[in-house]
Amino acid sequence: MTNILPSLETVAAISAFALIYMLVVLRKTLQGKFDLYDFLMLSMVAIIPAGFALFPSLAYFVSHLTGVVFPFVVMFGALFLVVFAFMHKMTARLHKLERQNCALIQEQSLLALELQAKERNQRGR
Amino acid sequence: MTNRELGWTDMCGAATPPASAPRILLVIPCFNEEASIGNLLNEIAATGCHYHTLVVDDGSSDATSAVASCRSPVARLTQNLGIGGAVQTGIKYAARQDFDFCIQIDGDGQHDPRAIETLLNAHRKDPANITIGSRFIDNAGFCSTRMRRAGIRLIVLALNGLFSGGRITDPTSGMRLLDRSAIAFFAKAYPTDFPEPISLAWAMRAGLTVNEVPVEMRPRESGVSSIDGLKSASYMIRVLGYILLARLVRSP
Repeated sequence: MTNILPSLETVAAISAFALIYMLVVLRKTLQGKFDLYDFLMLSMVAIIPAGFALFPSLAYFVSHLTGVVFPFVVMFGALFLVVFAFMHKMTARLHKLERQNCALIQEQSLLALELQAKERNQRGR
Repeated sequence: MTNRELGWTDMCGAATPPASAPRILLVIPCFNEEASIGNLLNEIAATGCHYHTLVVDDGSSDATSAVASCRSPVARLTQNLGIGGAVQTGIKYAARQDFDFCIQIDGDGQHDPRAIETLLNAHRKDPANITIGSRFIDNAGFCSTRMRRAGIRLIVLALNGLFSGGRITDPTSGMRLLDRSAIAFFAKAYPTDFPEPISLAWAMRAGLTVNEVPVEMRPRESGVSSIDGLKSASYMIRVLGYILLARLVRSP
């Protein structure tokens, strides 16, 4: 099968997207909206397509290694992997926050109850 | 500690409880139960027994807290945590205040407070870590809809088949007595999804024992059940999944 190389326009468009997107994500990371893990995982959306466009021979080599005919299938596979890894971490983090939130609400209500009891005792003396 | 040491006799009727009497906390989880909580607290007072009560207001938007606070301490949750979060708040309170027993009863008026003594007597005769008030031993009183009973039977089959530690007939009953071991266990971890049946699975997995005693329940005084129609089928499938999961993983 002939290796089809991406056109100059494709490379330019993907590189521009990658650059702008990564700058936006970097800005948000510096603002503290994302942590380093989020930055790396979100950057993959730009890095992986850019890698496939800028290094087509590497893309064909990877698709050959994985036994997949078209490199873009490998690229989407890699993107799905990143998305699922990110979702996995996010779900775990969400459940942890849910548990912590529940414990905090319980704790707050019990402390308020203890405080009321102490105030009643003090008034009773 | 033996039952005699706990001073079971004269719990009810005496002007003051004997010094050796067990300290019993009634945990009453409520969500928008202003219409029924007052009656329930009056009924508890009318039993003449020296129970401590704790109403857990699970983020109600009505006057539940105001009505209940006239007759009982109220733990107000700022957000609705669901029945699991509300019940665990009461259990944590029981653990911190060193209660001997924690008895959960619903705030919607389905549970007759006179049945609390039945639970305590059952625990005295046959001590178990958890004593459930079951609707399905004598099949007397309000026994839920036919579809829900069928679902409950499947949950019973799963619990009794997968776990040892007791024969259960009413895993969704919200009327249950916990002793000190069960209080300590559930204060650490309590399920938020489908807490009644799943808490039994967790408890039996951890080696706690479960006993049942027949009680009569009444139709709820106000409000509607959140599990009706198609939700019943979804409820059952998810509960069975959680029970299977509880069997597969090790005790926390």
